[in-house]
Amino acid sequence: MVGEVIMRGIMRYGILSWILLFLLPSLGTAGYKKDFEDAFLTKPWAGEQIEENVCISCHASQTMKPEFQEITEAWQASWHAQNRISCEHCHGGDPRDAALAMSPQRGFLGTPKDKDVPEFCGKCHIGILTNFLESGHGKALKAGEKAPNCVVCHGSHNIQKASIDIISEQLCTKCHSYERAKIMKVALFVIETRISQLEQRLQKLKREGIYPGADEKSLFSTQAEFRTLFHTVDANLVRSRTDEFTSKLDQIDKNIQDTYHKLRFRKNLSAFFMMAFACMGVIIFLLTKTKDE
Amino acid sequence: MLTKIKNWLDVRIGLNTIFQTHVLDYRMPKNTNILYTLGFIAVIAYATQAFTGIILLIYYIPHPDHAFRSVQDIMTQVPYGWVFRQMHAVGSNLMIMVAMLHMVTVFLMGNYKRPRELTWVGGVLLLILTIVFGLSGYLLPWTQLSYWATTVVTSMPTAFPVIGETVSQILRGGDHVSETTLSRFFALHISILPPLYLLFMGIHLFFVNRIGISATPFGKADEEKRPLTEYKRKTYPDGYPYYPRFFQKQMYMMMAYFTVMFFIITFLPTLYFPDEANVPADPFNTPQEVRPAWYLLAPYQLLKLIPNKFFGIMLQLILVLIFILWPVLDTQQEKNVLKRPVLRGVFLSLIALWVILLWWGRS
Repeated sequence: MVGEVIMRGIMRYGILSWILLFLLPSLGTAGYKKDFEDAFLTKPWAGEQIEENVCISCHASQTMKPEFQEITEAWQASWHAQNRISCEHCHGGDPRDAALAMSPQRGFLGTPKDKDVPEFCGKCHIGILTNFLESGHGKALKAGEKAPNCVVCHGSHNIQKASIDIISEQLCTKCHSYERAKIMKVALFVIETRISQLEQRLQKLKREGIYPGADEKSLFSTQAEFRTLFHTVDANLVRSRTDEFTSKLDQIDKNIQDTYHKLRFRKNLSAFFMMAFACMGVIIFLLTKTKDE
Repeated sequence: MLTKIKNWLDVRIGLNTIFQTHVLDYRMPKNTNILYTLGFIAVIAYATQAFTGIILLIYYIPHPDHAFRSVQDIMTQVPYGWVFRQMHAVGSNLMIMVAMLHMVTVFLMGNYKRPRELTWVGGVLLLILTIVFGLSGYLLPWTQLSYWATTVVTSMPTAFPVIGETVSQILRGGDHVSETTLSRFFALHISILPPLYLLFMGIHLFFVNRIGISATPFGKADEEKRPLTEYKRKTYPDGYPYYPRFFQKQMYMMMAYFTVMFFIITFLPTLYFPDEANVPADPFNTPQEVRPAWYLLAPYQLLKLIPNKFFGIMLQLILVLIFILWPVLDTQQEKNVLKRPVLRGVFLSLIALWVILLWWGRS
């Protein structure tokens, strides 16, 4: 009996002393090991993997003129940044090598002249480039006349997701009257509105737990194809192909409806399982009560 | 036909004797309540996870380029794949809840007390394994949610000096959560943890069976105050038979478990799938809210609140240690928590603290 009490005491206080032995040095270390603290606290707690980019680090530094510093801030808020289109994708160069970042040997292009901007953007936006060069804007630009290039309407570093809101009286009347642009906007309205609605519905599907990757791709390519049409500013061309785009969007719409139909079926089936288990539970509970009686 | 099979087995392995001894003649203490079934529900939860997990394993591809797509295929292309995935995802959370509830009820009823210290230790280890199960499975769908939650959780060991970085590197297989992390977590989730869990579950059940069930201290008290000098299995000759009465309770609770599971799948299908859970992982794009799964939110929040990370992690490790070794530390013979106001107060405060930290971590 006495032995048991002693053993219990040893176990209890032994473990407590052991815990204290760990806790006290940790408190001590916590108070005095500043180096460790500094090293730890400077680390990002859940750090994003940031790609090394000397263009951004250099342009954002205090050594740059304020207008150059603003470029990085504008880009960081842009649609390009959201889609990880970085400096070198447009301007060329090597963002990993500070010494040769702006070397022509590394493909650095610098800032294009106004008339070269369409080709600059058209490296990626190929269909739109062809379409734009066929337009009055494009032809005038290439002829060396005063005409808008891409950045006049879309902006450059702070470029945002394109929408028909860009076609506005405020913007167009800087150069000419708004009538023709307005006709164009009306022609685009049906398809553009539909695309925007479908985008929202696909987002909603994602929130319901379904990833509509194929439909998202299809909508993106339909939208991209549609946008290759209207830089010519030819409303008749847009109207003539509206049906074709409508049928493509109808297909995506149908897929979304089918998915919602499937979701309803799922809900009903799982509700059936829930009811079945609940009923079996009630039956067993009643059986238990009967036995108790 | 069935009788013939039964007789065939009986003459060879004594089936009737096993049934008679372990089912019909097995007596339960008179004052057991419905909470005594929680251990059984945890076993059912594990079995459900194992079954649905095997189905998912047929279609899942553990590679960053395919993991997300394969999970989406399970949800949209595989016939009824969504049922198994939802059952697995919801089940994993319910299993942790059941295991936690089991520990809390065992604690409140003082059933961890001698001679059941080893049963308690085994139970705590099973709870830790369950959480590791959840943690390792969380990354597998390779979504923004799982990627960044794993980044946060694997950052936690770095708070520990000297070996912290190494532990984190071992978990991740590098500086960041990557393809290697996915492979490691996949291997852990499907081939290391299941046999380990079964082993610990076997040991736990062996202890439960060998020592005998502990009666609740409420109602007619049944406190073991005899000196612990020799092995004696606790039996209840005047108790009620396990079958059918207690078995019915177990079945009733099992139905309740699946009802809750399908209630969540039906009415709250996105409870465990917020928006980030439906977007493929992107290591270059941190979502606005990065946080671990709910069961790790309290320790994560505590670690964030304590400015000294070393102290924070040590405090947590010590709390876990105290939790594991509690039966040795608590030498009072009184089992009834209602007669122990200090213990009751401390315990309720800890539960309240856990809930506050969880809620705080969420917001």
